[in-house]
Amino acid sequence: MSSHHHQNSIQHLYEGDQSKLYSGVLQHHTDVNSEESKNQVKRIWKIFWILLAITIAEVIMGMFFSHQMPKALVAFFFLALTILKAGYIVAVFMHLGDEFKNFMVTVLIPLVLFVWFIIAFLADGGFWLRMNDESQARHNSAQVQQAPSHE
Amino acid sequence: MSQTTVVTTAPEPKLWAGGRSPYNVSYGKMMTWFFLLSDALTFGAFLISYGTTRFFSSVWPDPNQVFKAFPFMEGHNLPLLFVSLMTFILIMSSVTMVLAVHAGHYGDKKNVAKWLLWTIIGGICFLSCQAWEWTHMYSECINTWSNVPGQVKHGLWGSFTDVNTPVEEFRQFFNPHKESVQNILTNQPLIAMQSTHNFFNYFFTITGFHGGHVTSGVIFNILILVNTVNGVYERRGHYEMVEKIGLYWHFVDLVWVFVFTCFYLL
Repeated sequence: MSSHHHQNSIQHLYEGDQSKLYSGVLQHHTDVNSEESKNQVKRIWKIFWILLAITIAEVIMGMFFSHQMPKALVAFFFLALTILKAGYIVAVFMHLGDEFKNFMVTVLIPLVLFVWFIIAFLADGGFWLRMNDESQARHNSAQVQQAPSHE
Repeated sequence: MSQTTVVTTAPEPKLWAGGRSPYNVSYGKMMTWFFLLSDALTFGAFLISYGTTRFFSSVWPDPNQVFKAFPFMEGHNLPLLFVSLMTFILIMSSVTMVLAVHAGHYGDKKNVAKWLLWTIIGGICFLSCQAWEWTHMYSECINTWSNVPGQVKHGLWGSFTDVNTPVEEFRQFFNPHKESVQNILTNQPLIAMQSTHNFFNYFFTITGFHGGHVTSGVIFNILILVNTVNGVYERRGHYEMVEKIGLYWHFVDLVWVFVFTCFYLL
């Protein structure tokens, strides 16, 4: 079978001539020393510094302040910063921000499921904690009531 | 462009009728994204079940107490410092990866190879840190007690499911300054032991799964480095494979961002 194909066309089967399908970031770039290229590198390093600053802020907060603050506020603070970091990584490092908007939406929409996952499962966890506490309390009070009859 | 003059006779093919890429993204890259989407759901399931377990536990180990060691600085109380170093290494390797992808966009073979090499070094550094942390977590939990006289049990797995484990074996993982936590340790030590067991189960499962991803990422990076140096992509005319592996590598960094928050900060 493979004898039908010229060496080049076999490579074609694996990768295809997809150079024309490249997204905006990859089109018509030729000179690595161009202004556009340098700006792109500058943007990458800028994002690096932002990510580093956010991480340092998180660690300082986790080391010194998170124990004195209300739990919900700490969680909100950390989760907001985490999502911000994730956004920078996906948009700039993974170049999703440079793709067509429709493609961005196609990739991101399924993640909306997480909203439901998180609400449902954490609510379930909280519910079981309450159930455990209540049944423990009921168990304890039943023991207290039974205690005199044992004597 | 020359196309516009030709198209006047034949109708423009419909965007979604096949034969073209409406998103202007190649098949391989699109499928990489969808694979990462499914992987995100896997990690999401892990982290959400961790959260659920944590929510139904009335006490939970304090990361500032569990993660306070640093290599060659034994005995010092350095909470979160080592994991910050690991996070820094991974972010740094993400930067070198995106620089490799950038060089690939311009067909700059020498720089692709250079930045891929740095990425591989970063990945190996991260894995070494994780190996140290795992070894440390394991050895810190070696039992000093045993219900069989004269025999010292090793490893934490058995001890946190054994009801005879003294509370002092796991008290070290909990916040010593919080009264409610200390009350539960004193009055209901088995609840605290169960939490300790769950905490370490999730910790080793999730960081292990992430470490497995880093390991395979390093292997992929080595493969594409070899291909780059051999001129495979130069002959192909594009460095899209570097971009696809780059997506995977950034995803691994992305997962770490969430693991870092869930295990070490919250």
